Amino acid sequence: MPLFSLKKNNVHQTGSGITPIVFSHGFGCDQNMWRFVAPAFEKDFKTVLFDHVGAGGSDLSAYDSVKYGSLDGYADDVVEMGRELDWREVIFVGHSVSAMIGVLASQRAPGMFSKLVLVGPSPRYIDDEGYFGGFTAQQIEELLEGLADNHMGWSAAMAPAIMGNPDRPELAAELTNSFCRTDPAIARAFARTTFMSDNRADLPNVVADTLILQCADDIIASERVGEYVREHIPGSRIVYLKASGHCPNLSAPDEVVRAIRSFV
Amino acid sequence: MKSSGPSVPLSDGGEPNAPAEDLEDLYENAPCGYFSLSSEGLIVKVNQTFCRWTGFSKDELVGRRLRDLLNVGGRIFYETHFAPLLRMQGFFNEVALDVMTAAGEKLPVLANASERRAQNGDVLFTRVTIFPAAERRRYERELADARAAADARNRDLTERWVAEREQGELREQFIAVLGHDLRNPLAAIDAGVRLVLREQPGERIATVARLIQGSTLRMSGLINNLLDFARGRLGGGMAVQLDVSKPLKPTLQQAIDEIRAVVPERVLQMHLEVDVPVAVDHARIAQLFSNLLGNAITHGDPLEPVNVDVATRAGQLTISVANSGPPISPAAMETLFQPFYRGEGKASQQGLGLGLYIASEIAKAHGGRIDVVSHANETCFTFVMPIV
Repeated sequence: MPLFSLKKNNVHQTGSGITPIVFSHGFGCDQNMWRFVAPAFEKDFKTVLFDHVGAGGSDLSAYDSVKYGSLDGYADDVVEMGRELDWREVIFVGHSVSAMIGVLASQRAPGMFSKLVLVGPSPRYIDDEGYFGGFTAQQIEELLEGLADNHMGWSAAMAPAIMGNPDRPELAAELTNSFCRTDPAIARAFARTTFMSDNRADLPNVVADTLILQCADDIIASERVGEYVREHIPGSRIVYLKASGHCPNLSAPDEVVRAIRSFV
Repeated sequence: MKSSGPSVPLSDGGEPNAPAEDLEDLYENAPCGYFSLSSEGLIVKVNQTFCRWTGFSKDELVGRRLRDLLNVGGRIFYETHFAPLLRMQGFFNEVALDVMTAAGEKLPVLANASERRAQNGDVLFTRVTIFPAAERRRYERELADARAAADARNRDLTERWVAEREQGELREQFIAVLGHDLRNPLAAIDAGVRLVLREQPGERIATVARLIQGSTLRMSGLINNLLDFARGRLGGGMAVQLDVSKPLKPTLQQAIDEIRAVVPERVLQMHLEVDVPVAVDHARIAQLFSNLLGNAITHGDPLEPVNVDVATRAGQLTISVANSGPPISPAAMETLFQPFYRGEGKASQQGLGLGLYIASEIAKAHGGRIDVVSHANETCFTFVMPIV
């Protein structure tokens, strides 16, 4: 069977272990998001990195605005990858919106994922009656507008060569050119899919062993939201990181690695 | 970092009382906003220019995060895109942000940032430069809007084009089916009339029967044209089966005889000079010839003869059909061979407007063409094809 996903989702597998640990990036960038975290697991696991369709080195021709208009489309891709790569009882680490993609995928394919690590999860970003998501619908509209403004600034931000950074030799020119670069139309659509999502009803159905990593001072997924996820996923645990912001996998990789290690 | 200190003169020239061009003043009053973030991302130093633009005092800004200066949408975007980008490549350039001023207004800016790192890779601080970009943003928005409008128009045109093409295909399929279904009853009528004529009827009945026979022939020609048109449009193309062994003369003679039977009162003068065998599709050439003849009969002066000249010379077969009468207007010349072209004659004389189109398709399929010359007293259509 040809492995469609390998190309479609730009899958990269390394590591000398047997059990796969799958790292799934969120809205904004691509699998490079895990570059400071994934290598720490290469000795004991088989690390799997991939790009969601529309991001990074994925096959843009596979982008389908209807399919990816809901997180189910992304979850289907994860399950498809799992079927092709024969995942059984693997560990899924999802950052940001990928946390919910993992929640959906784990229910779709029982037995495929034994453990979920949710980094900065949010089942719904927009406030609702009796629910605090952190944003009003109008604020999310502002975000989508802001995306339109960054069309040009965006590509220009990608352009400068990495040469001026001799202290960061690990950053190849190829990385600078692809990291975070997204077709503006797809970026807008992914933002809409992400920030309009509501997966609160899916949380109680999670059977995989779940760890939540909660950052301090994360404006996108606040502590209250992290608590909500912990309360609604049966048996889940939460670890509060010292790292602040929404991307501890970049800003505090060591702390993230330690937390995941103690769980897996 | 120190926010003030001894001024460092950059130049010792100039007026003694003029403000000195020193690094401190360059920082504070530069034509761009400057601020620096600590390793925790808090503003630790900010220049006067940025304070002036945003309406905040230094005290109000120090201790805040860059994202605190943005609206909520901008914050999410900053956290998901620019903060990771800065961490990954150590800098970002030309990033579009909306800074919220003290008055609660949006200040569109472009920001550059670069990290300063220690030997061990730890971030020491991050420098950020801010340029106002209101006009540029407006212009970019206009471009984006224009592009969106063009995209919408494109989509609209594509949809219309697809709809029209589908409609056209449907029409052509309808024509194909119709043409086919009309053939059978027509064959029955033709057989019936032949039977009547064989019974040696009286003069009146015989005349009527011949009229019916003529109409049947004409209708059969129309149906054939219809079917050929539909087939051509539906992608079948016009296929010809060339036959060099069969003589051309009887084929053409039969076409003339059929026309004569329909319009016995008209004079058809035929001059045939076929010296070499020609490879043609006989049924097709008969159809082409018949279409040209029918055209000449319909549009030509009824009191004048139709002249037919067939010749093989200089490696070519030419069949020309000429009639007298008013010339074809230059405007009509342009579209003469288009399908569904209707001539300028009386409505009662009109066919479907496919005759000349089909004739020219047959000519093309034989590697030839149809030329037309029309002046004050004669119009002449000439079919020319190479004799291979």
